[in-house]
Amino acid sequence: MRGHGFLLANYVPGDSLVHRTPLAVKFLLVFACGLASFIIQDWRISTAVLAGLCGLFLLTGAGIKRLWRAIRPLAAVLLVIGLFQWWQLGAPTAARIVLNILVCVVAASLLTATTPVQKLLDGVVKAATPFKRIGADPERFALTIGIMLRSIPYIAGTFADVRDSARARGLERNPRALILPVFITSVAFARQTGEALAARGLGEAED
Amino acid sequence: MPAVTFDQATVAVETDHSPEPKILLDAVTLDLTERRVGIIGANGSGKSTLLRLVNGLVQPTSGMVTVDGDDTVRAVRKVRRHVGFVFTDPLSQLVMPTGREDVELSLRRSVKNGTERRNQADAALQRLNLLHLADQSIYELSGGERQLMALAAVLAVNPKILVLDEPSTLLDLRNRELLRRTLAGLDQQIIMSTHDLDLALEMDRVLVIEQGKVVFDGTPAGAVAAYRALCLHSLQAEGQDIR
Repeated sequence: MRGHGFLLANYVPGDSLVHRTPLAVKFLLVFACGLASFIIQDWRISTAVLAGLCGLFLLTGAGIKRLWRAIRPLAAVLLVIGLFQWWQLGAPTAARIVLNILVCVVAASLLTATTPVQKLLDGVVKAATPFKRIGADPERFALTIGIMLRSIPYIAGTFADVRDSARARGLERNPRALILPVFITSVAFARQTGEALAARGLGEAED
Repeated sequence: MPAVTFDQATVAVETDHSPEPKILLDAVTLDLTERRVGIIGANGSGKSTLLRLVNGLVQPTSGMVTVDGDDTVRAVRKVRRHVGFVFTDPLSQLVMPTGREDVELSLRRSVKNGTERRNQADAALQRLNLLHLADQSIYELSGGERQLMALAAVLAVNPKILVLDEPSTLLDLRNRELLRRTLAGLDQQIIMSTHDLDLALEMDRVLVIEQGKVVFDGTPAGAVAAYRALCLHSLQAEGQDIR
């Protein structure tokens, strides 16, 4: 499979300030950015927040290429959203919406680029531990996050493969030739992943 | 060696095409105690179903399968702790973005301390000479490296039995050789299906499966000869020119 574009940046080992920042603070930053995307009403503030986050990202040493790779898969969708919003609500609103989405993506990338997945999962387990009282299994929360991180590039890769095979058959303008195979492959992937997890005894309740 | 026992194990599934259930495995009775057991047979003959019974991924419709005396249905969690399973396609098995993270995932249940988990994961990767690939995205690895990474993730929890479902099918010659050498150096009991007859010849005992039945059970050379004869017979029955 090719074209496995990853929406979020993979972990980059390092010793930057952001790497050393406690996980809870980074979680809060992502949460705050998500919240801010609803609150910020001025595209100039969105630009400033985005510039700040991009600056922080570059400070980690993860590099501009990795930042671009995290954003690139969204470019087409953002373009469509931006054009539609421009037509419907005008340029300032369109810019604000697109920039706010980018703020969320860069903030999440900042978290994943500076935190090893296992540490991230440990953090999720810790955060979910209070829910044990109502019968929840924190390890399952962590496993769900892990699988989500793994599934995004797989489905993106599937889409790239399906698009290529549709092109080869001259069907690139046929939505059915694109959507149906991606859907079927994704369901098959979900089944295989479930089977693989079961075979490894992962996701089962604690003894 | 641990003992895997099949007692009249049958697997049948409902199909849309027929009112009768389709028999995937037909009353198989076996006692597998050898260190290396190979399973060969045509596509759809029932090899994968037989392997999945060992790990409890498939449950027998009738009969029973036990691993060291533990029923794979009633004691499935205990069985899975002792039986590692390697799938044909490592991409469907590796669930984390990098190999190290996947091995650490295997260890999450047994090793709670993060540093200790990391050390054990590194040791598991080092055993298969994969440490230098530990932080690479699984998509950047070659097919052989991915398959070895999946194997490392399974071996990290030290299973007694290793079940492999056509592990070399997607590999080129070099990677097949790498996998073969790795498997030869393992202490675990190995039960493996394969289309690689050279690999099958290195087993201690080989079963030939045909239409859900074990039609040969014995020496590797005998099994390969029986499988070849079966293939020729099947082609002749279809009227194919086999000169």
